[in-house]
Amino acid sequence: MSLEIQNLHVRIEEREILRGLNLTVRKGETHALMGPNGSGKSTLANTIMGNPVYEVTDGKIIFNGEDLTEASPDERARSGLFMAFQYPATIPGVSVANFLRMAVNAKREEPIKVKEFGKLLGENMELLRIDRAFTSRYLNEGFSGGEKKRAEILQLAMLKPEIAVLDETDSGLDIDALRIVSDGVNALRGPEMGSLIITHYTRILDYVKPEFVHIMLDGRIVREGGPELATALEDTGYDQIREEVAAANAG
Amino acid sequence: MPDNASDWIAERRKAALEAYEAEPVPTWRRSGFWTTSLRNLDLDALEPRRYEPVGSEAELPAQVRDALDGEPGALIVQRGASTIYIDVDAELTAQGVIVMPLEQAVVEHGELVREHYMRRLSETEGKFPATTAAFWTGGVFIHVPANVRVEKPIQSVYAIDEPGTAQYAHTLVVLGENSECAIREYCLGADIDGQALHAGAFELYTAPGARAKVAHFQDWGRGEIYDISTKRVVIARDAFVSWVPVHLGGRLTKQTLDIITAEKGSDMRHTGLYFTERDEHLDLFTTDLHEAEHTTGDTVWKGALTGESRASYEGLIEIVEGAQESHTYLQTHQMLLSQRAKGDAIPSLIVKTDNVSASHGGTVGELDEDQIFYMMTRGISRIDAVRTLVEGYFEEVVQRLDDPGLETLIRRRIGEKLLAAEDQVKEFVGHRAGAAQEA
Repeated sequence: MSLEIQNLHVRIEEREILRGLNLTVRKGETHALMGPNGSGKSTLANTIMGNPVYEVTDGKIIFNGEDLTEASPDERARSGLFMAFQYPATIPGVSVANFLRMAVNAKREEPIKVKEFGKLLGENMELLRIDRAFTSRYLNEGFSGGEKKRAEILQLAMLKPEIAVLDETDSGLDIDALRIVSDGVNALRGPEMGSLIITHYTRILDYVKPEFVHIMLDGRIVREGGPELATALEDTGYDQIREEVAAANAG
Repeated sequence: MPDNASDWIAERRKAALEAYEAEPVPTWRRSGFWTTSLRNLDLDALEPRRYEPVGSEAELPAQVRDALDGEPGALIVQRGASTIYIDVDAELTAQGVIVMPLEQAVVEHGELVREHYMRRLSETEGKFPATTAAFWTGGVFIHVPANVRVEKPIQSVYAIDEPGTAQYAHTLVVLGENSECAIREYCLGADIDGQALHAGAFELYTAPGARAKVAHFQDWGRGEIYDISTKRVVIARDAFVSWVPVHLGGRLTKQTLDIITAEKGSDMRHTGLYFTERDEHLDLFTTDLHEAEHTTGDTVWKGALTGESRASYEGLIEIVEGAQESHTYLQTHQMLLSQRAKGDAIPSLIVKTDNVSASHGGTVGELDEDQIFYMMTRGISRIDAVRTLVEGYFEEVVQRLDDPGLETLIRRRIGEKLLAAEDQVKEFVGHRAGAAQEA
């Protein structure tokens, strides 16, 4: 049970953003992918989910042994991939509850029973400390930054994917919101879910402890290691790594 | 006319006939690409058709039975040129509420009708207002007396179900002081094979303090039914009207819809919705006219276009001299769901006084690929995402109806139209996804 990204090359509007990226995330593992702005982090997240704006020119995305490189976003989602968006879209006229029911049903043969859905929703809202009134609001319409992220994590909790990609979930959150979101992610962690936490800063990693850390520069992963790598990064910054990589390439 | 008491209406009809004869069949042009023309309508082949009354709702034309919902307080149905059905709750009659053909009201409530008939409509407004004023038959008259509150909706229906029909329709609504009611007027066509015309007039006058919810539900079906109508709602001192015109079908529709806050403290909410498909042509001009100080308005129009349809919405806010401290807002949105559909949505503003707030906004656009992608990452298929987004887009205006029966009908019809357009919508959004990938 794993997501394998092999030699991935991705282009947008003639510009190559990912340049031979390799990464494997297994169920039950928590990975952090770190990198400065423009390194291609969000491109990777979007490409994993099949955003048609990004063009894969080479390489593969394999999920549970199946090649999903050409699959549509909804097929990927139904087979167990999930992405929490940095900037989730607003869906006017569709309440959080109705949206969640649609999403839950998309993965099922038979639609979920009203009672069962209500129970599941209630449990997850309690877990994420979300107010009941929240579910009747239109999804993301007029939501604060924190509410949007909480709505993303609520979807994660309801959909129970095998692999979740969290794209800059920590950006724009104050410390309380960050803690609530992190608590939610931690509560959902376990042998049944693998996650890839994409972040610019080390802040969220104080709350959600990854087992593996990858550092990304210019469309490739340039450093890999355990949590200590994130700690080291805090001292050195991305520039020093960039210099080291440049020196190594020159040598 | 049957007696002297209604001579006045004969005079009005005569004046209208003169105006009708003096006017050529118009073509409506606006700057840009927009023209509404009747050149494909064979007017000479159309004539008023008469029908016998029916004894029960079960005998009404199928499209009427299909659209009606729940228990109305009153129901009056005109098929072609004839009123074929009237049913008024005994309770309403006891309250003094009048629902009857306008022809009959001219005779039985002459003074009341004469006081209001075409008070703010004129036979000199153009060929079709003149036609309607000259030739209307049957018609609808609704009166709710002062201080009467009607719970159940009062419903009127204009139905066309045969090709070759010319229907001249006139509805007059007079609402007494501090009265309260809900009115739904339906224009319903069968899927006829051929042409027909509905030339209509609707006028509603409130007395001070009245409150009314008024809905117009138009679905002329898949046949070639042309609708050229003028509708005017006039709101008196401290009265409130929520008016919801809904356009869900018709080969060609040309309508002037005006809502007038005419006296101090009058307030309105105007919510419109349209969905055009195939080769339909819709041309709407609305005016939010403020004639007195301290009047308020809130207008929202939303439309969607599929097929090769054309839809133009033009919304004007006009605040006359002296109407200080008026506050109003107009927004109009249009969504294109097919590559071959074409439309525009134009808000405009004429303000002739100070100390008012009036603003407007408009958007014409397509579905947002980011929204579609977002929904797809939740396992929802592209076509379901599109359908949900369009339904969600309309939901804001549907909810403003505040009428569960009609809301259900509109949601159902929008759902059916989206299903019918599924292939082109798929092709359209698919084409755009492909284009995005090539970019």
